[in-house]
Order: sequence, then C-alpha cells, then structure tokens
Amino acid sequence: MKQPPSSRRQFLAAIGNLASAGWVAMNWPQIAAAAEPMGHMGHDMAAAPPAKLKTLSAAEAAEVDAIANQIVPGGATPGARDAHAIYFIDNALGSFFAAQLPSFRKGLADFQSAYAAGSSAGAPFSAAPEAQQIAWLHEVDKTPFFMAVRRLTVLGMLALPQYGGNFEGLGSKLIGVEERHVWTPPFGYYDRDYAGFVPYPGSKTYSA
Amino acid sequence: MDRKTYKTSETVDFIVVGSGASGGIIARELSRAGHSVVVMEQGPRMRPGDFEHDELKYRMLSGITNNPATNPQSFRKDPNQKAERASGSNPLTYARIVGGSSAHFNANFWRLHEVDFIEGSKYGGIPGASLVDWPITYAELEPYYTKVEWEVGVSGLAGANPFESFRSKPYPMPPLPVKSSGVLFERGGRKLGLHPFPSPMAINSVMYKGRPPCAQCGLCGGYGCEVKAKSSSVWTVIPEAEATGLCEVRPESYVFRIGMDKGGRATGVYYYDADRKEQFQKAKAVVVSANGSETPKLLLNSATSGFEHGLANSSGAVGRYLMFNKGGGAAARFENPLNEYKGANVTRVIHDFYDSDPKRGFYGGGGFDARSGGPLTWGQSVPEGTPTWGPGFKEYLESYTYWMNCSGHGTSLAQETNRIDIDPELKDDWGVPAMRVTYKDHPDDVKHAKWQVQRAVEIMDAAGAKQIVPGEVGEARGGVHLLGTCRMGNDPATSVIDKHHRTHDVKNLFLCDGSSMVTSGRGQPTLTIEALAFRAAEHIAKFARANEI
Repeated sequence: MKQPPSSRRQFLAAIGNLASAGWVAMNWPQIAAAAEPMGHMGHDMAAAPPAKLKTLSAAEAAEVDAIANQIVPGGATPGARDAHAIYFIDNALGSFFAAQLPSFRKGLADFQSAYAAGSSAGAPFSAAPEAQQIAWLHEVDKTPFFMAVRRLTVLGMLALPQYGGNFEGLGSKLIGVEERHVWTPPFGYYDRDYAGFVPYPGSKTYSA
Repeated sequence: MDRKTYKTSETVDFIVVGSGASGGIIARELSRAGHSVVVMEQGPRMRPGDFEHDELKYRMLSGITNNPATNPQSFRKDPNQKAERASGSNPLTYARIVGGSSAHFNANFWRLHEVDFIEGSKYGGIPGASLVDWPITYAELEPYYTKVEWEVGVSGLAGANPFESFRSKPYPMPPLPVKSSGVLFERGGRKLGLHPFPSPMAINSVMYKGRPPCAQCGLCGGYGCEVKAKSSSVWTVIPEAEATGLCEVRPESYVFRIGMDKGGRATGVYYYDADRKEQFQKAKAVVVSANGSETPKLLLNSATSGFEHGLANSSGAVGRYLMFNKGGGAAARFENPLNEYKGANVTRVIHDFYDSDPKRGFYGGGGFDARSGGPLTWGQSVPEGTPTWGPGFKEYLESYTYWMNCSGHGTSLAQETNRIDIDPELKDDWGVPAMRVTYKDHPDDVKHAKWQVQRAVEIMDAAGAKQIVPGEVGEARGGVHLLGTCRMGNDPATSVIDKHHRTHDVKNLFLCDGSSMVTSGRGQPTLTIEALAFRAAEHIAKFARANEI
C-alpha cells in the first residue's frame, strides 16, 4: 500500500498517541477536520533538497565543511557533517544569500592563505588532523569569515531539509525537536501535573 | 464563492487601504452597512495551505513581510544625521499579505487599562516627551474591546487579572492549555506575591465561528495559521466582508498616492497592480489602515497643491511621535524539558507592574509574559561563558528544549523627533520614494527596560531556573509595533485625526491603525487597534448615512 506522506503519517500518529488527553478528546474532531484538508500536502511536496554542490567548488566546500564540522562536531550525536550543513551553505550562497558570496569567498581565501602561512605541512586546512584544526580555529574564531560560517552552520543544522541541511531531521533531533504540525498537552515536564488556575483572593473568574 | 469585483472606473463608496487588523474590520462593517468597498492590499492572498513551518523563510528571509531588498527603508538616530539604507532587515517590519500583520502576530491580546488614556494628565511634563491624553477614554472604547473579543474571537479567563480595568462581558472562549513556561512563570510570580493570569489570546481554544481550536503547532509569532485557529483578519472579517457581496479585496495592489481634487477632497487612490501597471480607483471616500509606517508614508507621498507637506498634515504631526514597545526580559534554563516549540506562544501574563510608579524614578510600565523563540534564531547567540563553537556549543544546542523566555513589554514615550518621513534619495522597486526612520529611545524608556530585566530575572529565579541570562537592553533601531504616527486628538494644530478618525484637513479621508494611538500602551496593541477600527467604522457609517462625508 502506498504510504501517506510523512507529515500526514505524523499527523495520524498524533491522533493515535495522544487521543487520551481531555483537551484532545474534546477538540480533536475539529482540529483534525481543519488540519487534514488544509493540508500539509503542499509542504510534503516541497522540492527535494539539494544534494550536490552548485555554488562552491569541491575544494572550497571541503574547507567550509571541515570548519562547520568543528563548529558542531559529530560523535555520539550528529554533527554538521552528518546533517549535510555544507549543502545548505552551498545552496544559501547560490540563492538567498548570494549577495554574501563574494565576501564569503574572499574570507575563505584569506582563511586559507593565513592557515598556509602558519602551517608547514603545505596541505589545506581540511586535511589537517583534528587537533590542529581546532587549534587554528581558536586563532580565527573572531573573524567575520568564521562568524559567517558559524551562522550558516547553525542554519544548516536547523533549517528545513528542503534547503539542503538538517539531513533526515538530524539537526532537529539534536536539539530535541520533533517535526510535527499538531501537538497536544502536556507539552513538557512542568505542565504535566498542573492543577489548574486558582483565582486570587477577592477576585472571581467568570466564563461565557 | 464568486467574489465581487469593481472596475477602476466605477466610483465605489469607500476604498480601504490595507487588509490587516484594522482594514479588515472597517471593510466588514462598511460593507455590512450597505456600502461598496474595495480593499487594497500590497501583498498576495495566501491560502491556509500556503503557510509553512519555515523559520528561515518567515523570520529571516522576509517570506511574508516587507522585504528590505524591494521595500527599503533608511534609518538614523539623530535628525541631523544622514540616514543610511538599512541592511539585513528593515527598521519597521510588517506583514505584506492579505490579513496584514494580524496574519503573523503572536495573538497575545490584552486590553489597555483606564490609565493608558489619561497619562498626560497623570504624568505629563516629562522632558523631551509628548505624553498627552487620548481624546477618548477606556469607558468609550470598552464596548468595542468586547466587540473584538466576541466578533473576531479571543480566548481567556475574565476576572483572572486583578489589574484589568472593568469589562462588560467575559471572553467567549476559555483560555488555551497552559504550557510548561506558563506553569513556571506562574510559579515564580506567585512566589513573589505577583498575580500571573491565563493569557488572553486571539486564538481559538474551542470551535468558534466555524473555525477550529488551535492545533498547538507552536508557530504563532511570525507565521500564518494554517488551521485558521488564529483570529487573523484573513480568516475572520475579510471573508465576512466579502460575503456581503459588496466588498472586493484586491491583493498585490500597492497604493502609492491618494488622488485629490481642487476642492480638497480625496477622489480615489493611485496604485500599482500585480503587473506593476499604474491604476486609479475612484471612490467617494478613502480610509487608510495601512499600518503605522505605511499610512504616514502614503500621506507624505501624496503631497499636492494645497497640501505641500503631505495630506492631512497641517499640524506637521504626520509621521511624528513614532513609538514601539520597548521592554526587557530574561532567558532561563530549567532542569527538565519544557518543549517550548509546542503550543501557542504565550499562556501566562503578569500585569502587576503595568502602571508607571513615580517611586521608581522614571516613567514607564509594562506587562510580562512567558514565551518561546524559534531554534534558528535562538541558536545564533549563546549566553556569556558558553563556547560559540565546538563540543560546548553543541551541548548548548542540545539544551534548546530546556529554555524559556520571560519577556517584558513596556512603554515607549512619544517624542516629536522620532518620526517617519520620506527619504530624499531612496526609492523602492516600484520607484516610490521610501520611508526614512529617525528614532532614539527616550532615557526613561531605557531605564524602564533595564528595570524590567531585573524583574524578569527575579521571576525566573523564583521559578527555580538553573541558569538565567538577563536580556541586554540596546538602542532601538526599529520595531514591529508601529504606533502614534498620525495621532488622534481634538486640536487640529497638534494632531492628525479627530476622535472619530476623520483627518482634520480632508473631510472624506479617514485613518485607523497603529498610527492613531496617542500613547504606546504596554505592548500587544492589536486588540486596541481592532477596537478602534470597530468604533471608527461605526462613526464613518453614521457620517455616511447622514451625508456628512
């Protein structure tokens, strides 16, 4: 059987998982009726995320990817490389942040030449051992170029996958966010056992 | 439904410029009164399914707001400086779609208090400020607040806020479910002897007027509501106006000048259509509800013989007295996840510090609420002492769901030098002269915002926060609450519109939006703007019936 698109699956799962809450029981038919046809189908049909470089050269991308992966390193949980942040960065600099591309390229060139001047290996930054990369980034982490890579890396971790990063929602998972369109209380730890609003002495609440 | 359309050659009874919080209501009321109405909206009309959960597009790329690339603005702090074109984002931001900023607002919907209307008498004479009374009182506006709450749809709990001014009716819907931030905020507030209460929200908590309750998707502020639970004009009064068969909403129609005849009467509006072709729509009267920045811009760009300094500007007050809502707050981290990305943005509010108190040593007051922010914006900065990259930064990213904001929303004093006028050089993509913003905080606004930061820290500390990050109070360089720029008043020498929203200078030209406000209130101005709109429409319709337009 053909599977419904992902957000629709999530939507249906929400019904199954959470239908016991009182608020949901009271309001669910209306919420479901409204959310279903208004469809998140438009969102499900979003263009496939870019998965190859269109703006940066492979050599440029390797350097930026190496920096990004030190900004949000991988390991037990996903990092920038796992989340394909580089594809977001490449896509952004070729489209909605295209105006920043010339200064970004110049910043990258300056980064590379400064690194080469301070390194005897003759290899690019991306080929350096991790400890050496980290040491060098501590030298340059106040530069506008590094700040730009940092900003783009964070966006590449967390923006919608259609922009190229946040591959398979790994960035969202890292920060504990589940991508759904519908939620029902309780939302978090502290509202689970809320006893209800108690009016203040001398005041009286009233409803329609 | 077949929507009514008018030819530009037809003379309609009213043109309403702007389809937002005010324009939508005025269009509905005037068309229900039997008048032909054309609503001009700069932006496109979006369907529910067009709205996306896309923080990058909506909060960072001007997805549905005025875009600095095509609608640029310039900014300066001092009138003696040359204004520079703003880069990145515009100083003054508003939604550019059918529904206007009511489509993307947070929907936190508190009323002004009685004191807001009489602060000139109570605290006037503040150096550098023009703090004056409104020409109307809370009592005069109260029935229209109630009308908004019932006609448009607001959820809340009447009687829960001990500081609220009197109300004639409860809310039509119960409050939305509380979030963890609301519970913690309430816990901290009560511990300090304060009086947190369920937030009034222009969001359905139950089925109301054919629209469903909130789906709790978590994306209110900055986003459109795809389930129509948020009581935005585009889902409420606009369809009701169209249902009269007398109202046409014309999207992608950018009004750039109001036409005038030799007798000093408005004849209609010049606008660029979706193909950027110039058009002129004839009308017997014009109502401008384009927001607190676009309304003065339109009047100033409509200067003509007899109105050399802009329409309705004999007082020189058009564009002046620009106000935002300055405030200060704190972010706080707790032991367990709050998951603030779920649920309507605000569920608890405090009004204990609403009134100004001379004992503080400065003018200013405000409200606090518990609210959340999107992860893309949140992840761009870190608390002092937290690494900006590497494993420490990653650990910080992983803490996203443990954070909340305690936000203060406060007063901004009206100052004559804070203004919108027309930049002498800058033009937008349509060739229309762009707005120039001149703004500098009043010292009392800064003092109050810093005072609010301290209160927010105390509330979060009392709530049991493990880490508190006091907000920084910087200089205002813009805002989203665009207020005061065509202020209401009884004296034509010092105000732009009278208490019925008619301009003092042009008999068939009315203005109603944030620009009408005389003082800033304490944030969340949309309910007041909508109440003013119901009241204005009632008077305009009365004038029309009496042939007094």
